[in-house]
Amino acid sequence: MRAFRPLPYAVTALVLAGSLTGVAGCSSSSGSTGPSTAAGQAASTGTSAVKRLEVTITGTTVTPAPAQVELPVGSTLELVVTSDHDDELHAHGFDQEATLEAGVPATLRLTATEPGVYEVETHEPALTLLSVAVR
Amino acid sequence: MIAPASLGSWSTALPGHGVGSRSDLPLPFAALVAAAGAALLISFVAIGFLWREPRLRESDGLLLPDWLAGVLDSRWLRLVAQVLAVALTLWTLFALVFGPDSALNPVPHVVYVWFWVGLAFASMLFGPVWRVINPVRMLHAGVLRLARVSPDLAVLPYRWGLWPAALGLGTFTWVELVAEENTSLDFLRLLIASFFALSLLGAAVFGRTWFDLADPFEAWSRLLGLLSPLGRRDDGRWVLRTPLHGVNTLRGQRGLVATVAVMLGGTAYDGFSANLGWATFVQSSPLPSSLLRTVTLIGFFGLVALTLWLASAVSVRLAGEPLRQSVSLVSDMAPSLIPIAGGYVIAHYWSLWVYQGQVTWQLLSDPLGTGADWLGTAGLVPADALIQPTLVATIQAVSILVGHLLGVLAAHERAITVLPHRAAIIGQVPLMVVMILYTVGGLTILFTP
Repeated sequence: MRAFRPLPYAVTALVLAGSLTGVAGCSSSSGSTGPSTAAGQAASTGTSAVKRLEVTITGTTVTPAPAQVELPVGSTLELVVTSDHDDELHAHGFDQEATLEAGVPATLRLTATEPGVYEVETHEPALTLLSVAVR
Repeated sequence: MIAPASLGSWSTALPGHGVGSRSDLPLPFAALVAAAGAALLISFVAIGFLWREPRLRESDGLLLPDWLAGVLDSRWLRLVAQVLAVALTLWTLFALVFGPDSALNPVPHVVYVWFWVGLAFASMLFGPVWRVINPVRMLHAGVLRLARVSPDLAVLPYRWGLWPAALGLGTFTWVELVAEENTSLDFLRLLIASFFALSLLGAAVFGRTWFDLADPFEAWSRLLGLLSPLGRRDDGRWVLRTPLHGVNTLRGQRGLVATVAVMLGGTAYDGFSANLGWATFVQSSPLPSSLLRTVTLIGFFGLVALTLWLASAVSVRLAGEPLRQSVSLVSDMAPSLIPIAGGYVIAHYWSLWVYQGQVTWQLLSDPLGTGADWLGTAGLVPADALIQPTLVATIQAVSILVGHLLGVLAAHERAITVLPHRAAIIGQVPLMVVMILYTVGGLTILFTP
């Protein structure tokens, strides 16, 4: 056996320790703000918060442009989608679907349970409408 | 991120969804800054202070106790693993042939989660396991044994190195990330049947070398398996060692640069394509979306290969050597990108592996979609303790960072081994710049919603 050489291991350990504390520190601080704001909203309205968003589809153009919608765990997104053609609306992860008829608004009520990012899309043609970031 | 990202084009005839409807929350900005800063620091510390003479030896490592080495070498362990692999393969083929064409079918999960992602994780832990349990390799060996001919039977000599593996990995990445209907049963039947046919044909013509070099999944398992803490030192005995030792045993060979470029570029594209801005651009463009995605995926492969070669070219010029040396240098340096590729794989697939890996058990218990529960796992509720957002963000940032650290150390060792002494320090700067770009790029992809 060759002699044990500590330098590479020391560098690895130091960097690991540094990055771990750095990452854990900042994400725990962001994590602690999440639930407190959610709790604050819930307290102010008395029930869990409801967000409302209207989306219009014209051909392959989505208005407003696809963006990420923040949704604290426990609150609900009321999504109203109006398309200029018949289509199917699908909210991944929430396992909710709706049939879109041309010009008729369809509503999905998405209640946040599991943290993560979920896409809402249509199938004909395949369009991403928005993504929901549940924290 | 999402494994088959083309689920956006999931057939309307199918209820529900396929693999990976959930993806990870964006990396917190502070984690991005901390990790990127650490990557920069690591790189410059490495250039300034690390060892000046090659120091990784194939005789290094902590010897495993005899009993453990005995278990690892035992025929029984291999037999059990092989029987399990064959059973899972037959079970999956059964669902592929007779199962429903819906989200209840376990085949997409087995292929895209257990096989592709699970094999990567298993290899990084235990080494090149696919070599032992590859059912096509077993089928080929079994047929030759039944026919009472030598297991080395080959019609033609094989001489393309890893090129077919690079092509195969690139194709599979395209199937996973771009192909439409990639979770539909007809598509998977065609995919799996052509893979079996092509592999058996390749093995029939070129012998079992085909599996050693040309098979994309053997390459995937072997290259990521270099990162395993388990390995054999030069006298064949089992040791615990650093991932650097594994990576350092890999020498430049034909097609290695292409294979590594596909591994890195594919995972990077996976993260990139989950970006909403990209989705908006693709769906509002007049060009067909599959064409745009295909071209961009190939662009990612090309970008990795090109930046790597540019770095080598600059290194060679800095070392005062002729430019044609850059071709051999890029091949010498390619192994040091494997830790970075491994870090990307962990960061991108961790939550998919943990969560959808459990969902696979539910689906496998009912391969025909009839409501049966043959394995008793249909009612399994996936545990989410390992995909808590803070934990996932930490795992992502740390795995990318550790991948970067190992990549830099591996590149340093190779540089002082292959470059002339005087030029070795300055010569590794371009490669390090490229590695910093990959790492910061990988982190940014995880950060951007």
